[in-house]
Amino acid sequence: MGLVIEKQRTGSTPYVYVDEEKGYIKMEGESFHENVIAFFADVNDWLDSFLETDFTELTFDCAMEYFNSSTAKLLLNMILSMDSCASEEKKVTVNWITTEDNDIIIECGEDFQEEVENLKFNMVIS
Amino acid sequence: MIFDSLAYYNMIREHNINIIYSGPIWADAIEGIAGTIKKRLEFDELPLNAAQSVYSVFIEQMNNILMYSEEKEKYSMNDGKMMEVSKGIFVLGANEKSYFIQSGNVIKNDRVEFIKEQIDYLNTLDKPELRQYYKARMKSENTNPESKGAGIGLIEIARRATSKVEYSFAPYDEGLTFFSLFVIVEQGGK
Repeated sequence: MGLVIEKQRTGSTPYVYVDEEKGYIKMEGESFHENVIAFFADVNDWLDSFLETDFTELTFDCAMEYFNSSTAKLLLNMILSMDSCASEEKKVTVNWITTEDNDIIIECGEDFQEEVENLKFNMVIS
Repeated sequence: MIFDSLAYYNMIREHNINIIYSGPIWADAIEGIAGTIKKRLEFDELPLNAAQSVYSVFIEQMNNILMYSEEKEKYSMNDGKMMEVSKGIFVLGANEKSYFIQSGNVIKNDRVEFIKEQIDYLNTLDKPELRQYYKARMKSENTNPESKGAGIGLIEIARRATSKVEYSFAPYDEGLTFFSLFVIVEQGGK
């Protein structure tokens, strides 16, 4: 079985789930911890090494309710890394999941969508 | 001398202040105040975009205090290491049509001009320009963490404010200045 990272949600950090076998990442909740880089370090390390492998599929369900500017920077970085590895053979999908009244998250999703070229970026607004 | 709680209480009431915090900005303190603000905004039945704006300004102000406050409290940890926690003040109040979100912290005198320039520049931009600038800064900070220019936290604050971001600088101890940031978010959102 592939590596699984799972972190429960706290007041300032999101629920995070990584399943290597399925090529799947999920984030849900809020992110504004003062040391956001340290919080995401293991996920980032995992992503870097996963992107080096001959994977065929990677899906990132990003269902955040709120995140601060430091987290935005970090998420953009992750998505750009995914994008640079995405191709016909290596299918990468980002599902940006939010609600129609969450302007901050929607705007941010639109901005990220403009930055990617190879991966599939879906805005999933309910 | 006994601190006059009633005078303080009345002052807070007269200024329509809902929440005030002064002291070390622990991660726990931020989470605690964040929870209180959320409750407050829920009770006020704000549209989500206005509530998110108030919340976001608060979080970025706290992050700014954490990063830039020159006044720290020192604690010795169980493992013998010293830990420094930034100090500052945060105020959330509401007038009839808008929220005001204020923060204050001590900075070095030599940062005054830089902060002034950044805020003055952000105040010349409209919302779409701020959005573009935010994105550009986010990308340049990712490739060059040492890059100069407004921290993206400050740009985020300007994006959520419904009027110009105001500031003041007051002399503090030797070589230090007290920096106050004053942000307004209308209750209807942007």
